[in-house]
Amino acid sequence: MRKFVGPLLAGALVAGLCAGGAAEAQQKKTLVFVTNVAADFWTFARRGIEKAQKEHPDYNMEMIVTTEGTAAAQRRELDDLVARGVAGISVSVDDAAHATEELNKVAAKAVLFTTDSDAPQSKRVAYIGTDNVAAGRQAGQEILKALPNGGKIMLFVGTMDADNARERVQGIREALKGSKVEILDVRTDQADFTKAKSNAEDTLAKYPDISLMSGLWSYDTPEIYDAVKNAGKCGKVKIVGFDEDARTLRGISEGCVQSTIVQQPFEFGYQSMIGLIKVINGDRSWIPADGKIIVPTRVIDKSNVAEFVTYVKTLLHK
Amino acid sequence: MRKELGLFLLLIVVSAITAAINPLFLSGVNLLDMANLIGMFGVFSIGEGFTIITGGIDLSIGSMFALLGVVFVDLLTEYQVAWPLALLAIIAGGLVLGALQAFLITRLKMQPFIVTLCGLLIYRGAARYYTTDSSRGFGYGDEADTLRTLAAGHVYGVPNTFIFLVVLAVVMGVLLHRSVYGRYLYAVGKNEEAARFSGIRSNLVIAGAYVLSGGLAAISTVLLVFYTNSVSPSSFGNFYELYAIAAAVLGGCSLRGGEGSILGIVLGTALLQVLQNLVNILGIPSSLNFAVMGTVILLGVLTDQQLQARRKLAAATAGSARAAAAPALAQRGQQT
Amino acid sequence: MADTLLELAGITKTYPGVVALDNVSLRVMRGEVLGLVGENGAGKSTLMKILGGVTEPTAGVIRIDGREHRALTVSGATRAGIAFVHQELNLFENLDVASNVFIGREKLAFGPLMLVDNATLRARVAPLLTRLGADFAPDTPVETLSIAQRQMVEIAKALSVDARVIIMDEPTSSLTLSETERLLQIVADLKASGVAVIYITHRLGEIMTCADRVVVLRDGRMVGELGREALSHAAMIRLMIGRDLKSLYVPPREAPRAGGCTLTGVVTTAFPDRRIDLSVRHGEILGLAGLVGSGRTSLARTVFGIDRLIGGEIRLDDEVIAIHSPRDAIRQGIYLVPEDRKRAGLVLEMPIRENITLADLLHHARLLLIDRRSEARVARAQSATLSIKAPNIETQAVTLSGGNQQKVVLAKWLSMQPRVVIFDEPTRGIDVGAKTEIYTLMRGLADRGVAILMISSDMEEVIGVSDRIAVMHEGRISGLLEREQFTEYNVLRLAIGQALEPTESAA
Repeated sequence: MRKFVGPLLAGALVAGLCAGGAAEAQQKKTLVFVTNVAADFWTFARRGIEKAQKEHPDYNMEMIVTTEGTAAAQRRELDDLVARGVAGISVSVDDAAHATEELNKVAAKAVLFTTDSDAPQSKRVAYIGTDNVAAGRQAGQEILKALPNGGKIMLFVGTMDADNARERVQGIREALKGSKVEILDVRTDQADFTKAKSNAEDTLAKYPDISLMSGLWSYDTPEIYDAVKNAGKCGKVKIVGFDEDARTLRGISEGCVQSTIVQQPFEFGYQSMIGLIKVINGDRSWIPADGKIIVPTRVIDKSNVAEFVTYVKTLLHK
Repeated sequence: MRKELGLFLLLIVVSAITAAINPLFLSGVNLLDMANLIGMFGVFSIGEGFTIITGGIDLSIGSMFALLGVVFVDLLTEYQVAWPLALLAIIAGGLVLGALQAFLITRLKMQPFIVTLCGLLIYRGAARYYTTDSSRGFGYGDEADTLRTLAAGHVYGVPNTFIFLVVLAVVMGVLLHRSVYGRYLYAVGKNEEAARFSGIRSNLVIAGAYVLSGGLAAISTVLLVFYTNSVSPSSFGNFYELYAIAAAVLGGCSLRGGEGSILGIVLGTALLQVLQNLVNILGIPSSLNFAVMGTVILLGVLTDQQLQARRKLAAATAGSARAAAAPALAQRGQQT
Repeated sequence: MADTLLELAGITKTYPGVVALDNVSLRVMRGEVLGLVGENGAGKSTLMKILGGVTEPTAGVIRIDGREHRALTVSGATRAGIAFVHQELNLFENLDVASNVFIGREKLAFGPLMLVDNATLRARVAPLLTRLGADFAPDTPVETLSIAQRQMVEIAKALSVDARVIIMDEPTSSLTLSETERLLQIVADLKASGVAVIYITHRLGEIMTCADRVVVLRDGRMVGELGREALSHAAMIRLMIGRDLKSLYVPPREAPRAGGCTLTGVVTTAFPDRRIDLSVRHGEILGLAGLVGSGRTSLARTVFGIDRLIGGEIRLDDEVIAIHSPRDAIRQGIYLVPEDRKRAGLVLEMPIRENITLADLLHHARLLLIDRRSEARVARAQSATLSIKAPNIETQAVTLSGGNQQKVVLAKWLSMQPRVVIFDEPTRGIDVGAKTEIYTLMRGLADRGVAILMISSDMEEVIGVSDRIAVMHEGRISGLLEREQFTEYNVLRLAIGQALEPTESAA
């Protein structure tokens, strides 16, 4: 029997801690922002949440980073949050197609927003985020601008089972339809940076006549930039990317990267929190019929990169 | 040496087939890219090989990359530490983590699998907590340019990582195959009790392997960081311990301990990298990447085992023939 | 001849280039104990494999109950009532006695659920254990049993399939003297109940006690058959090795010198409440007898630094030495030839050369890099001195015979500077010819001034080789015998904790 004493004690300890947490939650309503995967991107959202927290100190705001970036891990986190009795949740959904049931369960207990990655079939109250197809189209325009005479391009992304990856690819394809630009393939790397870079290197080796490479996830573009720069092909192989990694921005300043499409995750965080508070207080008038509140994406290129870098630096080094 | 020869032939055959389908496989650029990756992966695979030869395993190295990686980048960018100091600190960090694991395994008699599995979880968690889940990277400046040139540069086009691996392999090869420590390592891996009965301090020998693995993981961290230029604490180095184990096993290390060679491990690493590369070069869907790797490892190990069993059988029949021949000769001698 | 259970006629087995068995014929009668002796490699194990249905004979006939078979299968052998009690026991330590007896033949309950009906199994094992006079219950976990008790489980397993012929392969090699007696009693009981036993051993004394008939194999041929009345050590040895064996005992060249290794008040972890005083002089062979578990191996391990020394002191030539690890012992010139040479004596997968130099590697190294030529020189010299039979010094130890393996263990220590050598069961599982060689080597060492402590459970060996005998009983030295007091009777009395009879020592 002695064997069981240790685990029992540990269990009691955990239970005690949870009880403490729950007691605290009862005093202030808790709003939680759940990300899909760990990335710098969410640091901006964190700043937005911090701004909202300053404006509404009577709420308790948290950010939870999904551990492994898998649907299963996120599901467990949502269950835990519902069990804790939080008032509002804004979540970047992993694997939206199969999460509907889980999301509806959450929506029954708390005010549920989606952000960044939507789940339109679910009973979420609102979606605050990017229209990724539109962002893809924007990137497509940039690609056309970079390759007026057409050429071969390659796309790079972590995995294609993420909706934002699929939608961005769809947008790019729409924009390129009828042009002389040919998409050779989409290379995936499972969010392994080393693999992302070697994918880029392999592409340069296999297709000496490649004219443009595009990274759809935040870390892909800087790895492409490194590979192209090391190969001494800056300018010869053009780069159009997404998101605002420091090296992507440096690449734009240098002229090695043509442009990048940036979202405004700061707004995701800020608007999620403000919106959740409004709904908790009974105000839904601001939400359109389809529930989608689109935060527009911006194109950063040589003309506005300096100003944008300053903006990013102030946010990150707060 | 038979095992290594077989592996080398497999490497040549796979390369030849790939090159026949797409000659770009043999282009200078592609070969040098691969050499670079082989260099980086080979370094920590050798460390893993040492722990496997003791009959243990080190599952923690992938997470060690993440933890040491974020600390390393922070030392250089955030705290502006001079690069030699940062480098020393990281290597010391790897050695300390290795020593900690070695202490748990040899002194407190915990199983290596459990100790290093917990290391895998703890280091990853520590890295993510320390960075609050944001990645660390070399952003606007060019930090530690000298070290960057050392780690990511090249001499006459040959990547420094590859040159480093060759030098390291020679040093480690001498250590493993020619030195007293290497002999002890094999003896302990094959039969720890007999080693102890021969006066070998087996705990020290085993501990050495884990410390070495930690140290090589630290060096790999530096190489990998300068390759990707940024470190995401949640994904950096994920699964890399498995690449190392796969390379060591392909290279002839037995998970039961006491077997394996440096040349084998390096060839195993090379084969794994060639496989990853050929997926891209041949235009096989990236999603099949792992499946291709798994299949080749499976076939490689299976073939090797079959060949070995056959060789053993041949040796056994030859052996009993010899044993029987001797008394027969003696008999005849007596009769005449 | 109606009582013939089993008959082998003209059995021949050839492997490519080797004749393992050459026209062997033998017959086993109901209720008979047939002794089977021969040196290692004489063909005993091939013969047993044929009986067990593991190997097919190349030629010859097996007759069971008058029916002829060209070869047996494993299940056919079991059906014919042939059962084995192996040298290395094949038991599952984590299961209980009943589960082991019925392993693979479990009685199932609850129909499709296929659960094991433990109650029935235990009920069926109980009478078998009673019949064997076992002192443990059917639900005892095997890991808590002694080797002798485990052997009884094996025998119970044989009885549970109604075996008519039980083949025992070196059954007493790990047993103590009293346990051996017990086993021989069981053999006699089995015989009385009509079961035939084929008894394979190197210990001729046991054959003398229990066998009705002895068959001797040499080089795959049957070289002789001795009836009960013709049975003697000398006759068997002559047949086994084809010549007469000289008397074992060789006296020391000169009288043992004072000094050597002295233990005063030594306390080991095995018996924390007992103190051991013992001294081995230079130039003598001190036999250490006693029952298994009497603390002999534990004493050896303590002196060699494997187990912790709890109390007392160890002196070498009147100088107290501190031993915390085998390294310390080896530095002092105290070496141990362990009981289990495959586990503790050798790294089986390493070549002879590497095994010989393993304990002294730093002497073969410059700047910590090994000088293989120096290694080879020493290994070759030792192989020659000890006449290790192997193709060359790069041969893996695993391919050698037991005797040659033991010589490699010895070579490891002889290549250094021995002052005290402890032999723990030095000739277990080694054939007669090689035994003699090991004894000669031990005597040679003693004559060079080395103090030798020889732990042995083989009575012939203890009495035949030692200059003096110390006997242990439950963790202490229960007595010392000088050569003129050497009798099996005296050793046994001390081993079970009784004092010597004064008349005996006077006589």
